[in-house]
Formats: sequence, structure tokens, C-alpha cells
Amino acid sequence: MSVISVRQLAFGYSSATPVLKGIDLEVPEGSVFGLLGPNGAGKTTFLSILAGLIPCPPDRVFIDGRDWSTPASRPAVRLALVPQEYAFYHPLTVRENLAFFAGVQGVPKAQIESRIQSAVARTGLGERLGSRAGKLSGGLKRRLNLAIGLLNQPRLLLLDEPTVGIDPHSRHFILETIRQLGREGTTIIYTSHYMEEVEELCDRVAIMDHGQILRNGPLTELLAEAPPTPRRRESSLEALFLELTTRELRD
Amino acid sequence: MGPMSALIRKELLLLLRDPHGLLLLFVMPAVFVLIMTFALQNQYAVNKDVSLDFYLFSEHDSGLSRAFERDLAEASPLRRLETDADWQQMQARARDDEVKFLVRIKPGFDQLLIERQAPVEILYSPGTSPVFASVAEGRAMELLNRLYLRYRLSSMPGVQSSLEARGEDLIEARSLYDDSGAMPSSVQQNVPAWLLFAMFFIAVPLSTTLINERQQGTLLRLRSMGVGPVKLLAGKVVPFFIVNLVQVVVLFLIGLYLIPMMGGDRLTLGQNPEGLALVSVAASLAAVCYALLIAQLTSTIEQATIVSGVCNIIMAALGGVMVPSFLMPEAMQQIGSYSPMAWGLNGFFDILLRNGTVADTLPEVGALLGFAALMLALTVWRYRAITK
Repeated sequence: MSVISVRQLAFGYSSATPVLKGIDLEVPEGSVFGLLGPNGAGKTTFLSILAGLIPCPPDRVFIDGRDWSTPASRPAVRLALVPQEYAFYHPLTVRENLAFFAGVQGVPKAQIESRIQSAVARTGLGERLGSRAGKLSGGLKRRLNLAIGLLNQPRLLLLDEPTVGIDPHSRHFILETIRQLGREGTTIIYTSHYMEEVEELCDRVAIMDHGQILRNGPLTELLAEAPPTPRRRESSLEALFLELTTRELRD
Repeated sequence: MGPMSALIRKELLLLLRDPHGLLLLFVMPAVFVLIMTFALQNQYAVNKDVSLDFYLFSEHDSGLSRAFERDLAEASPLRRLETDADWQQMQARARDDEVKFLVRIKPGFDQLLIERQAPVEILYSPGTSPVFASVAEGRAMELLNRLYLRYRLSSMPGVQSSLEARGEDLIEARSLYDDSGAMPSSVQQNVPAWLLFAMFFIAVPLSTTLINERQQGTLLRLRSMGVGPVKLLAGKVVPFFIVNLVQVVVLFLIGLYLIPMMGGDRLTLGQNPEGLALVSVAASLAAVCYALLIAQLTSTIEQATIVSGVCNIIMAALGGVMVPSFLMPEAMQQIGSYSPMAWGLNGFFDILLRNGTVADTLPEVGALLGFAALMLALTVWRYRAITK
């Protein structure tokens, strides 16, 4: 069964510049879904709609089979967005940040400590609870960013480039955490520019550009379509991505 | 811990971790209150500890001139300093601000007085304020007129005796400040003035956190967690309202206890201190909503700091915080009456200076709440425009 169903979703910040042009997508429950696309493809807008930050037209996006267009119609689904930025308070400690984000989501006071412990256990931040968030290394900041996303024990986790700018050890740790969440049944939508990460982590992949889905399906099917790699360090998925998005320079 | 208490606790923690913000909100106004209270003490206490020192140089010797010399030396708050210096040396000393002014009794004093020509010359030192100059001039003029009349009416004994009365004996003067006749002191002006100045400076820490939240994606994350605009705004208004009230308590405590301990006048809260609470609440809401708008109109911390700093200083200068309004010309007072800080200050003065009631503060409270409502409406409009 699909957790997320998207039917002919079109969206633009103004009528002159459509960002999404008729997207169709199904995200099965428990899948780790890779969303790939060059800068400006519409990934962030799409994630923002799923996170409820941008209102979408009615009867275009369904979560758990219910219309996602207005707050009133939305089902009570445990959803978390992990933004690309270090979206927490740098002067506060790791514990204070986690307690705040748990409290602001309405986690009962009696459960806050256990949620914090669960989140730091998954992200390996147990010994850093008393550290100021701003003093953490890049890798630890990424882990805190993820830990905050786990506080409401999400069924649907939206990860926007969660491994940007960190060392290989931290990246490995974060990927392993995400893999474990996927194994436990969390539905994950994962955007990244690192193709090898997506190949390693995701069971389904969609490649989008210019507000459209160019390819969408199980990873194995997409890899079968991939052209021979012109360079050795280019992954098969990267070769397909470059071919579909026409290898032109973006930004 | 509910969402609102989490938001409030977070804001207060962020402020406690921000030494610059604390400096701006608490240390700066405390220092200003102390400095300005003692610096302006004399401006508010002409009849108490102030003396206007002067040298007198006489080029005439007669009964009338000696009477003038004696009466002038005794006229409060003038104080004659004795010296052997000649007129040129006296002028040099006055230029160095050793005395406030010089008095020269001209040759032919009696004749000049009778002919209603100037028998006396007064020279002011460069640093003498116009207020002090007019006091000195008024005293000298009063004595000369009395001498003139005494001379003219010397043949009428009844009239002459009435002229023996000193000028101040003919007037019963007291301040309407309170029944004891005491005058309000500079602490009554400076505590509320710098308190308001500091209250409006919450625009800096408030906009810093809001802009950081916007830039670091925290606002996005909060919105994705279901924290709507009402909660977000309330999550700023409530903690900074609390901070403002802490400022009120701290600065009033300084006026009540610290300044008297340092030898200054004690702040008196008037007969209706509940009016102070009402004005404080209204001023705080105005300051917080103004700060929210600044945070919405600016996109970087630098912009917010400059815009709020400049606006605050202009509002303070016009509103009578830096220079008391009564020292300003009429036109400036008119312009200043549009400053929210002037409304707040007048509200405080209704209680602290005029011994007014809560009802007396209602016009200013209404103006402050109206300003707060306008700022909040503009903030919501701007927030919607940004998040659209």
C-alpha cells in the first residue's frame, strides 16, 4: 500500500513560473525512496508540500489515502522533515535542543526524556548531551539534525541532503542509521546529490528535472536502464542521472 | 511541557546565553540611569543644593550700591565669591568657568539707576546655561527695581517699609508634586526614560533570534512540526514581554535603592503605583510588537541591528528620553509627541511626577496599545507575504 500518492501535481509560486508540472508518484509504505534531481529541479518544493509547508491543490497529494491539501483534511500522521540546514539552536546544548523540539511537538513531559534517550542512542550523541550545539563538529551537527527529526518517532521521514559536508565516518554512521530506520518500517524520502548513497540506501528512486518526474521505479529497474559508465568512478545511477538531465551545468 | 512553554523557555535560554543582549537590555540602561540621574541632578534641584557663584566688581561706592551688593550676595541661589582680582582678571577666570557670571557696578550707579539706565553689567561665563543666566538676571533686576522704588518713595514711610520685604517673602511657591512641597528629582525623569529606551531595544535580541531561525531553517522545521504563525508570534511576544517586565523591576529597584545608596535622590512611586504597572504592560506590548515588525522587515542581523538602533535613538531623542521635552522648543515637542517613547514617558510621568491616577494614564496606554496593534497587524501581513 502507498503511504504517499501524488497525482498530476502542478505547483508554482506564481502563475508565470511553474515549479512542479504534473507529478505522478507512489511511495510504498516502508520504502526508502530516493528523490534525485539537479538544483532547481523542484525537489525542495515537493518536499515542502509533503511537509505541509506549502499548501497544494486539492485531490493531488494523498497521505494514507487522505487529501493533504489543507490542514483540516490532513490525517494525523507522524511526519518529520530534516532540512538540509543545521536547523537547531546553536547556543543551546544538545539536550536543550532535543527537549525543546520534543516539547514544541507536544510530546508529554513524562515521555520527553525517553524520547531524547532514544534519539541520541540512534544517532550516537549520548556523550554530547551537555555540549553546546554550535560547538559540535559538522558530523555531530548532522547527527543532531537527524536526532531532532526522530523525536516524534516518525512514520514518514523526509530527509533533505542529510550528509552534505561531512567526513566519511559521520556519513557512514548516518547512512547506517537511516538504513536501520528503513528496516524498522519507517518510510523515508531521501534527497541527495550523492548517487552512490542513493544506490546503497534506496529501494525505489525517482529522477526529476524541470518540475517533472523523468524516471520512477525500483532501483534495480533504473540501474538496468543505465548506460555504460564513461568514467570509472561514475556509478550506474549517476550515468543514468546525467543522461536524463542532459549533463548540462546547473546553478 | 506544552508547546508554548517550550517556546518561552527556549527564548529565555537563548537570551541568557547572549551576553551582548543582556548587556544591551540590562547593563546599558542601568548605567544610563546612574550617569544621567547624577549628571542632571542640578537641573531639577535649583532651590536645593545649587549655587550660582559670581564675582562682583564695584566701581561705585554709595548707600544704594552697597545695599545692592549686600542684597545680591544674599539672594538665593546666588553666591558671591570674594576675590582681589581686577575686572580683567575676573573675566579671565569666568572664561575658565570658575564662576557662573560676573557683576560690575558701574561708576555713577545711583544716577544711572534713577535715570533708568543700566547701572550694572552682567557677563556670563561660556558654560553657564540660559536657565541659570535668566535666574541671575532676574534676581539682579528685582533688586535694582526695589532700590529704585525705595529711592523714589523714600518720602512715604509706609510704602518704604513694604519695600523692605524680600521678593521671595511676597510669594508662596510650592510644587504640585506632593503635599510636602517637595520638587521631583532627576531620578523621576531618568528611570522611566531609560527604562523605555531599553524596553524598545529588545528589537535587537528578538530580531536576532527570528532572523537566525529563518536563515538556519529552524523556522521551516518548526512550521513542519505544526507550529503555526499564532504560536510562533506568541512564542516571541510572551518571553520578551517577561523580559521587559524584568527590566521594569530592575530599573525601578535601581531608582528605589541603588541611587539613594550612592547619594542620589530616591525614586518615589507616587500615590498610584498600579498605574506604573499598566503603563509598563502597554509599553512592553508596543516594544515587542515593534520588535517583531523590525524582524520581519529585515533579512540580516546587521540590518535589524542598524534599523532598530537608529529608530530607537530617533524615537528616544524626540520622545524626551535623552533631552527632557520641556527643554525642547514647541515645534520639537509637537514632533516628539508622535514618538511611542513619549507616550510611555508621559504615562510614567502621570504617576511619578503628577501623582495622577490610573485613569490619567489611559490616553497614553491607549496610544501604546494602538501602536502595538498596528505593529502586530503589519507583522502578520509581512509574515504572510514572506511565507506565501
